[in-house]
Amino acid sequence: MGLLTRQRPAYPLPLSGADPARSTPHTSRLPALTERLADASKQKLRTVQEYFSLAGKSLRFAFVRPFYAQDLVQQMDEIGVKSLGIVLLTGFFTGMVLALQSSVQMRAFGATMYIGRLVAASMIRELGPVLAGLMVAGRVGSGIAAQLGSMRVTEQIDALNTLGTDPIKKLVTPRVLAALIMLPILTVINDFVGILGGSLISKAFVDVPTSYYWRTVWEQIAGDGFVLRFVPTDFVQGLVKPFVFGGIISITACYFGINTTGGTEGVGQSTTRTVVLSSILILVVDYFLTQILLSVLGS
Amino acid sequence: MTDDVRDPGERGNPPATSSEGSASAPAEDRSAERRQEGRRASERRPTTIRRAIRDELAGEPTDEYYSETHPQEHRAVPVIELDHVYLAFDRPILEDVSLEARKGETICLVGESGTGKSTTLKLILRLLVPDRGKVYIHGEDITGLTFEEALHERQKMGMVFQSAALFDSMTVFENVAYPLREHTELDDDEIEHRVREKLAFVDLDPDQVMGQLPSQLSGGMRKRVGIARGMADNPEIMLYDEPTSGLDPLSTGTITRLIMKLQRELDVTSVVVSHDIRSVFRMATRVAVLNERRIVFFGTPEEMASSDDRYLRDFLGGS
Repeated sequence: MGLLTRQRPAYPLPLSGADPARSTPHTSRLPALTERLADASKQKLRTVQEYFSLAGKSLRFAFVRPFYAQDLVQQMDEIGVKSLGIVLLTGFFTGMVLALQSSVQMRAFGATMYIGRLVAASMIRELGPVLAGLMVAGRVGSGIAAQLGSMRVTEQIDALNTLGTDPIKKLVTPRVLAALIMLPILTVINDFVGILGGSLISKAFVDVPTSYYWRTVWEQIAGDGFVLRFVPTDFVQGLVKPFVFGGIISITACYFGINTTGGTEGVGQSTTRTVVLSSILILVVDYFLTQILLSVLGS
Repeated sequence: MTDDVRDPGERGNPPATSSEGSASAPAEDRSAERRQEGRRASERRPTTIRRAIRDELAGEPTDEYYSETHPQEHRAVPVIELDHVYLAFDRPILEDVSLEARKGETICLVGESGTGKSTTLKLILRLLVPDRGKVYIHGEDITGLTFEEALHERQKMGMVFQSAALFDSMTVFENVAYPLREHTELDDDEIEHRVREKLAFVDLDPDQVMGQLPSQLSGGMRKRVGIARGMADNPEIMLYDEPTSGLDPLSTGTITRLIMKLQRELDVTSVVVSHDIRSVFRMATRVAVLNERRIVFFGTPEEMASSDDRYLRDFLGGS
């Protein structure tokens, strides 16, 4: 069952702003191909609408009582702290390989002294946010989708509803907020260990003194100017992206999770869809965000 | 044993006024007449069904018990009412469904799979809204409520799921305490007291189970914790979605007795979806039979058993 042909869940959730409990009238099957296409398009649009409605609701509930602070802290631990290992590893080795590869190319131009600038710019602007996003999408996104999907198929989400709790407020909002907070933090850590990895390679194989390497890193960070006098422009780029990616990962995972149908097989499908769609969205949105940020911030 | 078969309308509809007194001579006469009628009615049915019903009804509390504990005037008030409800998704689910549950009644919904029994529960919970028709809770139409208002309305109800639907990341204590923490201002001591009280009500040892996770419990214990969670906030309405499915006969009997205990001791109005006819005959004050999207029968278990309707006969014979 594809995303766009998803059937109405047993207990529809309030994703579309309109009253979810209201059923649609019975209609007969439309035989004509054009009408089927129209139906498919409507279904697709409805899915997109539900996705953004879920995003809007989850953010709105962040300001509406009751606040589930304990759930938020727990999710920050789950999304942030427990993702630290994987982020450190990927960042460190990416920084090292980036320094190694670029040294080969830059040696031809006698520009190996600028490796620090290249590694810093690459990590802070692009690789840090994207890699952290992809890693978290794989580890956390799949986990959220599986957890909420299991709760759906074992009627725990329905139980929340019947106990008078809005499942979006209880389950989605803490996860979205935690991802929005933790992904930028993970990205900064990823950036740092990536640059550190580059430093080790520069010292060991390219003969760039460590102090010089870090000086060029700072020149890169400070060279593009500051926003609000203190925040380097590169950091703005590097922090806006993970913030958006955090939203994409958490909302995609929650959307597929709470709309899971089809028992344990459905849980597996939701998990796969979450990782695939999150990864694609991260890469696509990264391009458009870069375009926008470059036009707004310059350089 | 035959003397225990009572009037079909008697269990759900006790005498008109409790002041008539169970010991009065006219009441005894009427009771004797009704027993005779019940006996004659039961003799019209196949012996196996009659025997099953008599077995289930044996040992039940007397009608006098009901009339003493639950005043008659309360029973006239429909707590739950479905009024000519129609519902369809991709296909029609329910058509012209009407039923009511008066205070303290236990209404059992039975029927083949896919006939809309669980959907009816969702309508009562206002998880779904009918395309046509009304759903009333305490006389208030809930079909027009907003999502937030519906959440508030659901706090008056307790729901027990087929799978118990306990939160598997929480302990038994946290599960039962959940509605109290969400919707009451009780402090921690009061919550613990209430949780212990509810666990004891469902015949579980609080000290033994409170710290356990749902995965450490047996199926019957999970169902009982589910009932304890459902009744934690003292709801006026309890809804059960196949509460005895997948349980061994002993656990089934335990759950059935608990549902009856809730009705007797707390005067809770219950709607039970069940495939277990034996349990239905034990606990139901009235039975609604759903077939092909419609209610084809709504009456007492005795009326159901004595019905000449072919579908009902097949349904009971096949159970």
